[in-house]
Amino acid sequence: MILLADGGLLGGHADIHAWAMATAAVVSASCALVGTLLVVRRMSLLGDAIGHAVLPGIAVAVLAGGRAGGPLVFVGAVMAALVTVWLTRGLRAGGGPEEDAGAGVVFTTLFALGVVIVSAAPPGTHIDPSCVLHGDLTFLPFDTVPVAGLPVPRAFIAGAITFSGLLAAAVATWKLQVFVAFDEAAARAAGLPVAAVTFGLLVATALATVASFDAVGAVLVVAMLVVPAAAAELLTRRLHTMAAVAVALAVVGACVGYLAAWRFSTSAAGMIAVVLGLEYGVAAVLAPGDGGLARVWGRLALAWRVAREDRLAAVWRAEESGGERGPATWRSLLERCAGWWLRADGSLVHTADGWRLSPRGRRDAEMIVRSHRLWEAWLGRHAELPLDHLHPPAEWVEHHLGAAMRQRLEAETGGRENDPHGREIPPEA
Amino acid sequence: MNAAASGPSPASSSARPPLVDFHDVTVAYGRRPVVWNVDFEIDEPCLFGIIGPNGAGKSTLLKAALGLVPTVGGSVRFGGRPLREVRSRVGYVPQRETVDWDFPVNVMDVVLMGTYARLGWFRRPGARERELARASLDRVGLADLADRQIGRLSGGQQQRVFLARALAQEADIYFLDEPMAGVDMRSQEGIFRVLADLRAAGRLVIVVHHDLRTAAEWFDRVALIDMRLVATGPTAAVLTPENLRRTYAGHIEVLEELGRAVAARGRTS
Amino acid sequence: MTAPVIAYNTFVVAVGVAAVGFAAGVVGSLCVLRKRALVGDAAAHATLVGVACGFLVTGRRDLATLLAAALVSAVAGLGAMVLLRRFTRTRDDAAIAIVIGVSFGLGITLVSGIPAWGYADSAGLEQFLLGHTAALTAADATLLASVACVAAIVVAIGLKEATLVAFDAAFAAASGWPVAVIDYLLVALVAVMVVAGLPAVGAVLVTALVVIPPVAARFWTDRVGTMLLLAGVIGLVAALVGVAVSAMRPGLATGPLVVLAAAAIFGVSFLIAPERGWIARRIRARTLADAWSRGLALDACLRAAGAGDGTFTPVDVEAAVAGDRQGGRRAGAEAFAALVRTAAVAPVAGGRDAWRLTAAGRALAEERRRRLDAWARVIEHDPDDAREALTIDLPAPGAVLGRTGAGS
Repeated sequence: MILLADGGLLGGHADIHAWAMATAAVVSASCALVGTLLVVRRMSLLGDAIGHAVLPGIAVAVLAGGRAGGPLVFVGAVMAALVTVWLTRGLRAGGGPEEDAGAGVVFTTLFALGVVIVSAAPPGTHIDPSCVLHGDLTFLPFDTVPVAGLPVPRAFIAGAITFSGLLAAAVATWKLQVFVAFDEAAARAAGLPVAAVTFGLLVATALATVASFDAVGAVLVVAMLVVPAAAAELLTRRLHTMAAVAVALAVVGACVGYLAAWRFSTSAAGMIAVVLGLEYGVAAVLAPGDGGLARVWGRLALAWRVAREDRLAAVWRAEESGGERGPATWRSLLERCAGWWLRADGSLVHTADGWRLSPRGRRDAEMIVRSHRLWEAWLGRHAELPLDHLHPPAEWVEHHLGAAMRQRLEAETGGRENDPHGREIPPEA
Repeated sequence: MNAAASGPSPASSSARPPLVDFHDVTVAYGRRPVVWNVDFEIDEPCLFGIIGPNGAGKSTLLKAALGLVPTVGGSVRFGGRPLREVRSRVGYVPQRETVDWDFPVNVMDVVLMGTYARLGWFRRPGARERELARASLDRVGLADLADRQIGRLSGGQQQRVFLARALAQEADIYFLDEPMAGVDMRSQEGIFRVLADLRAAGRLVIVVHHDLRTAAEWFDRVALIDMRLVATGPTAAVLTPENLRRTYAGHIEVLEELGRAVAARGRTS
Repeated sequence: MTAPVIAYNTFVVAVGVAAVGFAAGVVGSLCVLRKRALVGDAAAHATLVGVACGFLVTGRRDLATLLAAALVSAVAGLGAMVLLRRFTRTRDDAAIAIVIGVSFGLGITLVSGIPAWGYADSAGLEQFLLGHTAALTAADATLLASVACVAAIVVAIGLKEATLVAFDAAFAAASGWPVAVIDYLLVALVAVMVVAGLPAVGAVLVTALVVIPPVAARFWTDRVGTMLLLAGVIGLVAALVGVAVSAMRPGLATGPLVVLAAAAIFGVSFLIAPERGWIARRIRARTLADAWSRGLALDACLRAAGAGDGTFTPVDVEAAVAGDRQGGRRAGAEAFAALVRTAAVAPVAGGRDAWRLTAAGRALAEERRRRLDAWARVIEHDPDDAREALTIDLPAPGAVLGRTGAGS
C-alpha cells in the first residue's frame, strides 16, 4: 500500500490506479480460473476463438441499448460464444473442415462481423474499433456507481461478481470438471453429464471474456486465459494447485503489468500480456523437474555421479586384476575432478603403496561392479546378446541399479556367482 | 545358456555383410527406453517376422531401422552401409492410422508417390512411372480402382494401396508395419501372397506382425521382441513354448522399472 | 489529385491485393492439408512487433521496411513456438495460444507506446491491425504482387514434394525426403504470405485469408491441384470484393470486409457444392432413406399378400415401415403413397380400403428379396467385396461385382 499512498510512487490519483489494478486483477483471475480447465482439456484455441467471437454479441447488445458491463452485454456474449461452438461442431458434422480449420473460419468471420457492426454504429455509442482490440483500462475507473457511499467503477463490480460466481461454480463442480477433463469417454460411460459440463465451461469462458472485454479487448483475452494456466502447469502437477497458482500469477501479472504500462506510458492490456509472458518464461526455466534449469542441473548431477562411480569402480577392477594402475591418467577434466573428490571425502586413502580404496570406498565400488556384472548376467540369460555385447549396456546401467533391484536380478539369474565372462560377482554389502 | 552359446560375432567371418544388421539398438521416447539392446542379423532374402506382444517396441524397432526415430545407442546397417546410402533400395509400408483418409488424392496418386524418391526433386512422374504404378496396382488386385478417392476404400483395400505404393518403389528390402491390422482374412491372404511373390523374386521382406498363428504359417524366420530380443532364428525353432512364455509372460518389469529410473536420472529401488 | 491518377492507383492496388489473395489461398491450402491451419495465426499476431520495431529502429514508414521487419518477427514468433514445443511440457495448442497472446501484447505495447514516446510521424502503424488499403501506393502494390507471384511459383515447383509430406510424412521420411526442411519451407511461405497480407487485411484477420479459401475450395473438388487453384481464385475474389467495398466506404477497415467476402463464398460452398455440399448430402441421404422405406413397404405388401392375391390395408403397411425405421408414421405414409404412384399397388374395386399388389409390384418385391438373399451369400464369402459394393438401394450383386448373382 506504500506504493499507492498519495504522493508516493504513483503520485496523485492513487485511488484511480488502485481501482484500475483491482479491476484488472479480478478480471485476470476469472480468466485464469477458466483457462486452467481450457488448457488441460486442450481447448486453448477454442478459448482464443471465443475471445474473438464474442465481439458481435457484445456489439449487437450495445447497439440494442445495453450498457458496457451491463447484463445485456453478458447475454449477448454468451450467445455469441455458443454460436461459435455450435457452428464449429456443425461445420464438421455437415462434412466441413475439422477442428482447427473450422474454428479458424468461424471466429475470424464472427470477429469481422463484429468489427463491421461496431464501425457501422452511430458515433457516440460506447464502443469503438480500436478499443475493441486492446480495451482501455485507464478509463474504466471513471465510470462509477456509488456503493455504500464509495464510488466504485462499474467494470470492477462486474468483474468481481463474475469472479465470485465463477469461483463458486468451479468449487461446486470441480470433481466433475476434473473427471471430464481427464477422460471424456470414461466420464460419459460412467453416466456423467459430459455435455452439460462442457457447456458450462464454455459459458464460463464467455463470461470471463466479456468481463475482460472492457479492460483488455477481444484479442488479448487469450493471453489472460491461457498464459497463467500454462505457466502454472509447468510448476505443479495437481490440478487444484494449478488453478490456484494460475490465479495468483494472473493477479500479480495484472498489477505489475498495469504499473509498468503506467510507467512506460503505453497500453495496459498489452503490458499485462507481456508480463504474463515473462512469468511463463520464468516458470519454464525454473520449473522443478522439467524446467530448463532443472534439466541442465539434472544432467550435470548425473554426469558427476557417473564420473565418481566410474573412477571408484576402475580402481577396484585394477586391484582385482592385480595391476598396479593406481591413479592412472584420466581423459577428461570431469574424471580428474572426480578423483580429487574421492580422495577428499575419504573413499581413497593414501598409503605407502599409493592411493588405495578405503573400506567405505571398497564397499561402494563393489556395489557398482556388482550391479554391472549382475546386469550382464541378466542380459545373458534374458536377451539374445553375444558375449562381447554385454559390457557396453552394463557400463551405463550399473549407475541406475539400487539394492532391491540387484536382489531381484540375482534371483532371476539363479543366484549364480559369476558373470557370463566368468568373473566373480561381489556379494551385497 | 544363450550368451555363451552365441559364439563369436559374425562380422569376423569372410562372408558378405548381412543384408540387415541390427546392432545393439536402444531407442528411447523422451528419456525412457522402449527398445533395449536389440541385436540380430538377417543374412538372406526371406519373409522375416518381428513378433511380440503389444507395446513391445516392434514398431519402434522398425522406425529406428528407417531412421524415423533416433536411437540412443546402436545402429542398423544394410549390407554394411548406413541407411542414407541405400535409401532407394528400401521400401516402407507404414501403419494405416498415420494417414488422413479424407485427403484429396486418388489411388493412382498414392501409388505414384512410391516413385518420387527415384525421381528426385522437382521432376514430375512420367509415362514410365505411371506404367510402373499400374503394374503395382495389378499385382495387388486394385487395377480398376485407380481413380477412386482413397477415403472410399475398405480397410483391406487401403492396405493394398500402401502395398502397391511400396512395390512401386522397386526396392530390395521391404519393411511393413502391422500390414494385417484391421484387415479381414481374405485380404490378409492376398497381401501375404504378394509378399511371398516378393520373396520368390529374391527380396527381403521384414514384417512387424502381432498374430502368432499366422506368423507360424507365413514367416521363414522370426525375431521375438519384448523390449529386448528374446530369440531369433527359423520360425519353428524360435516359436517354442519356452520362448513364447518368456516373451508373453512378462519378465520385463525389470526393464520397465529400469527405464523409469533412467528417465528420472536416478536409481531403481 | 486528378481523376486518371486515382483510377490508375486504385487499379494497381486492386491487382496487388488480388495477387496476394490468390497466393495466400494457394499457400494456405498446403497448410490446411498439413493440418497446421492455425500456425499462420501465430505468425500473424507476431508481425505487429516487427512493424513497430521496424519503425523504431529505422525511423522509416515505407511499406517495404515495415514488412521486412514484420517477416523477421513473424519467423521469430514461429521459432518461439517451436522452442515451446520442444523444451517444455506445454501442449501444442496452448503453445500457439501463448505465442499469439504474448506477441500481440508486445506489439500493442509498442504500437501504443510509440506515439506517447514522442515519435513524430508515427501515425498509421495502427492500420496494420485491421488493414487499410486506401493508403497503399502503386509501388507498394507492385511489391506485394511480386512477392505473391514468387510464392505461387515456389508452390508450383514444389507441389509434388509438399503433397507427399502433407499426406504421409512417415513414408516421406522413410523414403529419404527431408521432411523437417520441407515443413520449415512451408511455414516460411506462410509467414511470407501473412506478412504480405498485412496491408490489406491486418494482423488480426490475415489468418482468415490463409484458412477460409482452402476450406471453401475443398468442397468443390477431390484433387489437390484443383483445390489449390480454386482456393487461389476464391482468395483473389474475396480480396477484390473487400478492397472494392472499402474504397466505396472509406470509414471501414478493409480486413473485415475481405474476411466477410471469403466467408460468404465459404457459406455458399458449404451449402450448394455438388457431392460434398450440405444440401447435396441431405438430398442423397433423403433419397436413400426413401428408397429403403419403399423397399420395406413393398416387402410388407408381399408378406401380407402371401402367395395368392391377398389384400391389405395401408395402415398395416405403414405400421410395418414405421416399426422398422425411426421415421415413424410419416415415413410409412409416404412410402405407401410412392407405391401407389408407381402403380405397384392398386385398390380392390368396391372393397373397403383394401389394396393388392399389382403384377409389377409383385415382381419388384420378389426381385428385392432375391437381391437380399444374394447379398447375404456374398457377405458370407467375400465380406470385403460386400462392404465395397453394397449400398442401401440394393443393386444387383451380379452387376456390381462383375460376377453371376449367386456369388463366387
